[in-house]
Amino acid sequence: MAGARAARGSVVTEAIAAHTPGNPMKRSDFPALGFGVGLRRPHYAEILESRPPMDWFEVISENFMGAGGRPLEVIDFVCAHYPIVMHGVSLSIGSTDPLNRAYLKDLAALARRLQPAWISDHLCWTGVGGRNLHDLLPLPYTEETVMHVARRVREVQDLLGRRILLENVSSYLTYVDSTLSEGEFVAAVATEADCAILLDINNIYVNAFNHRFDARRYIDAIPPERVVQFHLAGHSDHGAYLLDTHDHPVCEAVWRLYEYAVRRLGAVAALIEWDDHIPAFGELVAASAEARHRSRRALAQRDGALAARSIEPSAPREFED
Amino acid sequence: MARELAALQKLLWRLVTAPSGVAEGLAGEPDLGADRLGAIIAGDERMDPAARVGVYAEAYFYRLLEVLKEDFPATLEVAGADQFHNLATGYLIDYPPTEPSIFYAGQHFAAYLHTHPIADRVPFISELAGLERIVLESFHAADTPALDDAAMRTIAPEAWPAFAMRTHPATRIVACAWRVDQVLRAVEEDRAWRTPAHAAATIVVWRRAARVYYRAADPAESAALALADVDSGANFGAICTAIAERAPAPDDVPGLIQRLLIRWLADGVLIDGNLTDGKIVDAAR
Repeated sequence: MAGARAARGSVVTEAIAAHTPGNPMKRSDFPALGFGVGLRRPHYAEILESRPPMDWFEVISENFMGAGGRPLEVIDFVCAHYPIVMHGVSLSIGSTDPLNRAYLKDLAALARRLQPAWISDHLCWTGVGGRNLHDLLPLPYTEETVMHVARRVREVQDLLGRRILLENVSSYLTYVDSTLSEGEFVAAVATEADCAILLDINNIYVNAFNHRFDARRYIDAIPPERVVQFHLAGHSDHGAYLLDTHDHPVCEAVWRLYEYAVRRLGAVAALIEWDDHIPAFGELVAASAEARHRSRRALAQRDGALAARSIEPSAPREFED
Repeated sequence: MARELAALQKLLWRLVTAPSGVAEGLAGEPDLGADRLGAIIAGDERMDPAARVGVYAEAYFYRLLEVLKEDFPATLEVAGADQFHNLATGYLIDYPPTEPSIFYAGQHFAAYLHTHPIADRVPFISELAGLERIVLESFHAADTPALDDAAMRTIAPEAWPAFAMRTHPATRIVACAWRVDQVLRAVEEDRAWRTPAHAAATIVVWRRAARVYYRAADPAESAALALADVDSGANFGAICTAIAERAPAPDDVPGLIQRLLIRWLADGVLIDGNLTDGKIVDAAR
């Protein structure tokens, strides 16, 4: 990984240039990072001391927006040795409050310092009336909301000078007034705003249970070219609903849905998220390796199916298991 | 439409943050009975609309409670888990989070405790919370090169009296009426804490090599650091005068100045006076 920063510098510069709003988006505008994990405090010492092999790290933007001290010391080291992406939780892109200019200024300053391969946040609202819930609340899936969010995304992208990724959130409620499916809503926002998508496979699985929809049809609605990253995580079963807790291993059903997404959407950078009851770093590395293995297998299955279909017109549906 | 979405978001904010839960929040909505939430939020036989909003309400409170517990471990220990739970509830009603970063969620906790009835029973608790908050702020304070022995050696001896010094951005000079540093130390070291002495003290908080330290300062050191703890800083000559005026042993003033300077330089408490700022802090505010 030595010299990763220098090598990454040119890739990121090219990527930012390609992200300039107005150019048609292609997934290849973004670097192909491979398989990473979230950078979390319990692993700082191990990463700093042993510099383990890892394709890339995702960092929570807000954790590094302080003026100085240990967090910035750590992130500067990580940036010197690994590609990173910035993942925020406070953009509140769906709020009806004005965009928080001070927050965006800090975000832009952090991006200048860290030079991330990309910047992401969530397709949700986190507060209103100047108050913050510190949670990711869903929006009504309507054409009006699409336009509201897209206008704000374009403003953020203009300010940051690059396309951002928006992530689909887990949710426990939906609105009676919604006229679109969630998958259609995510796709419509990304298209209207001309932004990229961070597709959280676990969130789709959780929401499919909580709101009773077909997770595969959700994925089918997503435009492949806009998907730049996958999230994989664990959840908790509360009986009546699934809670997106990020405190368990990725379950087999989510792995299978991930494989389906890879077959449908192609080779996409993937990241293991773990935020509570965080295990030893090695367990995250193993989960990342599992994502790589399953991605390769899914792509091979897809390519095999495509080849078979070109020979045999009556072959089964391309993305069926 | 934006107005409708704004009204929807404000309604959900009120329901999620309702102190005693969504049901109480619904009761406080004159235009919206419990049955009418179903006209806004979809429900099913597994979870009705209120239960679905309740998932967010529970997450809101417990997420912030955990943050407060993590940021104020000694205050938690002194108050006890049940009382701390109630204090957190009241605090979040009076001071709902307003900043994008959750780091700021506890920024007013000491001020809240200062006016809370618990201050009559545990009069040092707001100062204790204030000290814990200051330690946290020191941890995240700006990075600036600290004055060290090598830097001072580059200054000609005749220039020392006029050399300006300031406290480092991570250094805090905390005025306390109680020795709450002793309570914090006991909790950090997993020892039983005792009610601290009701004795005015100045606590110096500083950061070195990404770790935060704190200790009580004697009157001579307190006066000297308070002098340096302002935007304009103070020159070394004035700092020496402040030490001399409060030195316990007038014969030992040169020795005391030397010992304090060596300690400050080793701890990274000071910076070149032309660089940045600092302010005196009241632990309870």
